[in-house]
Amino acid sequence: MSSRVLFKGGRIASAEQSSLAELDVLVNAEGRIEALQSAITPADDMEVIDCQDKVLLPGLFDMHVHLREPGREDEETIESGARAAIQGGFTGIVAMPNTTPPIDSGGMVRFVHTLAREQSPIPIFTAGCITQGRAGKQLAEIADMHQQGAVMITDDGDPVADPYLFRRALEYARHFDLVVACHCEVPELSRGGAMNEGARSYQLGIPGIPACSEEISIARDLRLALDTGTRIHIQHVSTARGMELVRRFKEDGAQVTCEVTPHHLLFSEEDIRDYDTHLKMNPPLRTPQDAEALLEGLKSGLIDALATDHAPHTEFEKNLDFAHAPFGITGLETALVSLYDRLIKPGQLGWDLIVQRFADTPRRLVGQERVSIAEGAQANLVVFDPEGQTHFSREGMQSKSMNTPWLDQALSGAVVGVVLGPNRLMDRITA
Amino acid sequence: MIQELDPRMSRRKDLLDIESLTRDELLFLLDTAKPFKELFTRSVKKVPALRGKTVLNLFFEPSTRTRASFEIAAKRLSADVTNLSIAQSSVVKGESILDTIETMQSMKVDYMVVRHGSSGVPAFVAKHTPAAVINAGDGHHAHPTQALLDAFTMQEAVGDLRGRKVLIVGDVLHSRVCRSVSTAAHKLGMEVGVFAPATLIPSGRPDYMKVFTDFRAALAWQPDFVYLLRLQLERQAAHFFPSLREYHNIFGLTRERFQVCRDQGIYIMHPGPVNRGVELVDEVLTYPRCLINQQVENGIAARMAVLYWLQPATTVLPMEEDAIA
Repeated sequence: MSSRVLFKGGRIASAEQSSLAELDVLVNAEGRIEALQSAITPADDMEVIDCQDKVLLPGLFDMHVHLREPGREDEETIESGARAAIQGGFTGIVAMPNTTPPIDSGGMVRFVHTLAREQSPIPIFTAGCITQGRAGKQLAEIADMHQQGAVMITDDGDPVADPYLFRRALEYARHFDLVVACHCEVPELSRGGAMNEGARSYQLGIPGIPACSEEISIARDLRLALDTGTRIHIQHVSTARGMELVRRFKEDGAQVTCEVTPHHLLFSEEDIRDYDTHLKMNPPLRTPQDAEALLEGLKSGLIDALATDHAPHTEFEKNLDFAHAPFGITGLETALVSLYDRLIKPGQLGWDLIVQRFADTPRRLVGQERVSIAEGAQANLVVFDPEGQTHFSREGMQSKSMNTPWLDQALSGAVVGVVLGPNRLMDRITA
Repeated sequence: MIQELDPRMSRRKDLLDIESLTRDELLFLLDTAKPFKELFTRSVKKVPALRGKTVLNLFFEPSTRTRASFEIAAKRLSADVTNLSIAQSSVVKGESILDTIETMQSMKVDYMVVRHGSSGVPAFVAKHTPAAVINAGDGHHAHPTQALLDAFTMQEAVGDLRGRKVLIVGDVLHSRVCRSVSTAAHKLGMEVGVFAPATLIPSGRPDYMKVFTDFRAALAWQPDFVYLLRLQLERQAAHFFPSLREYHNIFGLTRERFQVCRDQGIYIMHPGPVNRGVELVDEVLTYPRCLINQQVENGIAARMAVLYWLQPATTVLPMEEDAIA
């Protein structure tokens, strides 16, 4: 029985370098990286894993995931969500608190963390609600949730509509140095809408959600953040103008970060042709120009993080007509592969940016230690095969829900290994 | 008497919108509707074209006129017709549309005429059934047979539609009739103008739509047709306009504006049912160039043409086809 594992011949991605380093990784029995060198000579007590042509990168971290437990275990559970995360190359995720009932108390935070410890091989953190029951009327017990380990607060799915209450929430959160994540939308402007308002919504006869609904809300939250000095994180920015607002307030000194989802980079409203509800999410897919601008923002660093907004829904729900089907698509299993196929492989995005925006920054924003492939560090890495292919089939996917536009498609690239400490959570290399 | 289908004009399985039809297909359908209309003056108004076929009127939204029009059209083609009205709310709650389609499919219908309050439902049905699907109105999206009957009616009035002008007045934003009528008019070479409060002018409208902000200027544009859209009265509650009184005063066909239309010989159209005193004043209805009743009559002929043209993907034994011929 070999006690050490040698990942041999792979290329290492890091946040610091755009080029990949050809180094072997030796992991000891305790799950620590014992050596990171070129051409490590295999010894008898080493299991050698051939990583020729593979890319090794730090385990990804998704700060925006809907796990649906408690309440909608038919859509996803902590256990199935964790499996989906591992499948996609994530070794840590943050669950959003819009469950039924919502995660709006210390007890609920403890419940999620307890279930996660029992059922998930990867760390799962939870966000807590800003307001009781996400109703936008009364502050939730933010300090209590914080003490129980909630890593951020948000009423995600809805904004805190009342600006007075939101201002107080920001001030209160600042006291505990908690980051406040903002779902930006003016409900009155979005109401009844199901896709971006524009030429396509006119053609399809689908009520529109105007870009200004999101942008006005972003502007409000940024302005309040500037006054209160609270760290805020704008979730799923979908428009160029929304992103520009973030730029301006960053320049003015607001403590603001923002995220973009893979789907807002890779799709636009023009892809919605046959009323495919797998392209219905909130905020909606915007124009191709918005998607292009967001990609530029991601590259320049104006957009700090990638996040999936993994939102599982049952097939029954997604088979409703476009106007009535729920918003949201899954993303944990498809994020890295789709980004590779559409952006990394064609040379639009480097691996260093993936590590920065999808591993380092999200961990930093929720107060978690940085993960890197370095000597002495705990092993926390993903083995990615650029020559491989992933077919997103119903049988192959781990999530309980299949509501992804990539369903039944085959894309370039595959996650073939996930290592966390001494555990190989996924291994398609030797298997 | 009924012309044979032009062998060069390939048949489609479904009619979901006007957008996907070519100009040739549009013209072909209009030509096909003509002999059907002539049939209505005979003592026997029936032809055997769809004998042995079943047409299902699947209406998720209440409708009496459109449903009756489809029913008569199908019966005049000798098809068997079944009407099914399903409350939309029950579908959203429990049974999915897919479940409904599967149930209907077990009944082996050849044609489904589908109306639904949500855009895209007929397209969804079409994807999941071998029956030919006709969109009888979905959400704000499309009402293709309405556009066909309107184009037919306009053709009857003035002949070739190329270079003619239609001014569409009213709720452009929410109207499936407007989307289909304007698309058909554009494809047939007409100029399209719209006049409505800015709240009801959609931002993503096509470039060819000329937007007027003044009724007088719109009439000075010399339209051949003024097409009044039916105003859904609940739009007032959603603040698209402050009151019916004001709507009528600014955007309705008032007595004065009607006088201008009469002087210019402009034809007046409306998909019905009319809100008297809102979209128009009563006098319009007795004006010789008010085409509203012709629209209703032509609806049957246009829908017969569509039923006649579409080809369900339901399988039939060749022998059976012979027996019908």
